[in-house]
Amino acid sequence: MENFFSFTDAEFSAIGLSFRVALWCAVLILPLAVFLAWYLARKSFRGKPIIEGLINLPLVLPPVATGFILLLLFGAKGIIGSLLFDWFGIHIAFTFYAAVLASMVVSFPLAVRAIRLSIEMVDSNLESAAKTLGANTFQSFMRITLPLSLPGIISGFVLTFARSLGEFGATIIFAGNISGETQTIPLALFSQIQIPGQETAAFRLLLVAILFSFGAMVFSEFLVKKVHERR
Amino acid sequence: MHALSARLKRAKGNFSLDLAVDFKQGITGIYGPSGSGKTTLLHLLAGLEHPDEGSIHIADRIIVDTENKIWTPSRKRQIGYVFQEGRLFPHMTVRKNLLFGTIFHSKEKALIAFDEVLHLLELESLVDKRPSQLSGGEKQRVAIGRALLSAPKLLLMDEPFSSLDMALRRQIIPYLIKINRKLNIPMLVVSHDLPDLLSLTRELFLLKDGYVLGHGHYFDLIEKENMLDVMRGSGLRNVIPFTVETHDTENGLTILVNKDASQEIRVERELIKNCCLVGEDMNVSLRPEDIALTLKEIADVSIRNQLPGTIVKLIRKENRIYCIVDVGFKLIVSITQASQHKMELCEGKQVWCLFKSMALQINF
Repeated sequence: MENFFSFTDAEFSAIGLSFRVALWCAVLILPLAVFLAWYLARKSFRGKPIIEGLINLPLVLPPVATGFILLLLFGAKGIIGSLLFDWFGIHIAFTFYAAVLASMVVSFPLAVRAIRLSIEMVDSNLESAAKTLGANTFQSFMRITLPLSLPGIISGFVLTFARSLGEFGATIIFAGNISGETQTIPLALFSQIQIPGQETAAFRLLLVAILFSFGAMVFSEFLVKKVHERR
Repeated sequence: MHALSARLKRAKGNFSLDLAVDFKQGITGIYGPSGSGKTTLLHLLAGLEHPDEGSIHIADRIIVDTENKIWTPSRKRQIGYVFQEGRLFPHMTVRKNLLFGTIFHSKEKALIAFDEVLHLLELESLVDKRPSQLSGGEKQRVAIGRALLSAPKLLLMDEPFSSLDMALRRQIIPYLIKINRKLNIPMLVVSHDLPDLLSLTRELFLLKDGYVLGHGHYFDLIEKENMLDVMRGSGLRNVIPFTVETHDTENGLTILVNKDASQEIRVERELIKNCCLVGEDMNVSLRPEDIALTLKEIADVSIRNQLPGTIVKLIRKENRIYCIVDVGFKLIVSITQASQHKMELCEGKQVWCLFKSMALQINF
């Protein structure tokens, strides 16, 4: 135990990768989740329970199963995977993209849930008032619904980010455990624990994981508070 | 030309609305007990609900015609809607709330300028506040201003008084009358409170269970028994337009005359405060219970207002008798059955209407 805080290159890359995957995941999910959350909160249509069920499925499905489904779909021989390769020459499975996609699918229901709740809290009467004043649906959403549900959208974003940092099961199946490409903190932690005598390194990563997740939560609380203060 | 005409059918659960309405310029009151379909009517006009069947015309513009599949969305109807609860946007200042509607239409269409709205509704000191910092009456004024600035061709008001207490109600009425006089925009005001509505207008539509029971001038409606029944629920009022004739400063009285100057009444200056100049118009409101009938003029009495007239109609309701007396304008007077018998009152009889000046309420 000569120097506790001397991170190896592999560990550094795992930390950087985790951060990048989580950020991409949260950024890509946000617009989609906001739209879907709004649609589910404000519209009623046939087959709504089925759509809700599909979105929430990864929440209850073992992440490993989610990863397996993704692999079946996006793998080299999968329906989507083979098309992507034939048309664009893109491989998804066992790449950085796979790590992002796995995180996205797993954290999507959390984002939709948090944002939908906050949109449902916005009085829809305010939207109809905006419409009588000349706003169309998009304008009333941007000027009324979005600013009023901002705290929930921020929580949704941070929740996605944090969930993505912790993503393990779907990632290891769909993206593999490739150091420098798909090995995020949880995967690196898993690898370290597997090897006898690497407890120190495992402990280092554990602290980083706690720090990241905790930091994200505190930051989100801070942002939500800021938004409330502005009112 | 009607400002607005609509034929509408709409069924919701066990409530169904089926009505035809034609509104003139000026202020029209829509009165009905709760559950009579007043708000549904406004929603249909504003495009917040779809009719099952029907059509809506504003002036010569067709807004809705289900037969020809014409549907104009709310935002394109140019109908200002002042909601019962105000519905101000909580995350915006009063200024941004007021200007919200101006974002979506061109400047040329504007009905009224921002500064003018501030002045008219006395909002100057409120522009930088948030809705949560406003009182009920202030919120209501901001909501009215916001609707006016959205360049409406028609203004709908849903129970503009119900969220306000008595004193504030009296305050909001002059604003509405000012707006109507200045902008000449047709206004539909929905209320379940007849005295408040009458202080704004005497052109009424009576709604009951989703259909129009009757419409027209208040006094023409009151003569019909089934309508009297509906209106009795929230308290009848005499509301008569008068003009200030002279101020009798010596006796602390102000003399008012009616339209054709055939009758004059005396009001204590206290009631009018100092805001009325000679020649100014005002509405005087008087409860039917506060008028007494006599068969001749009485000299030795403190009551100064004694108007001669003819009984036009007697309506019996339980133990009450409602007499409609024409004194140059119509007055509704409520008396007991015993009095009617004793005085042998019948239609066509000459009587005097007596009321204390203290019983009068003034609306500007």
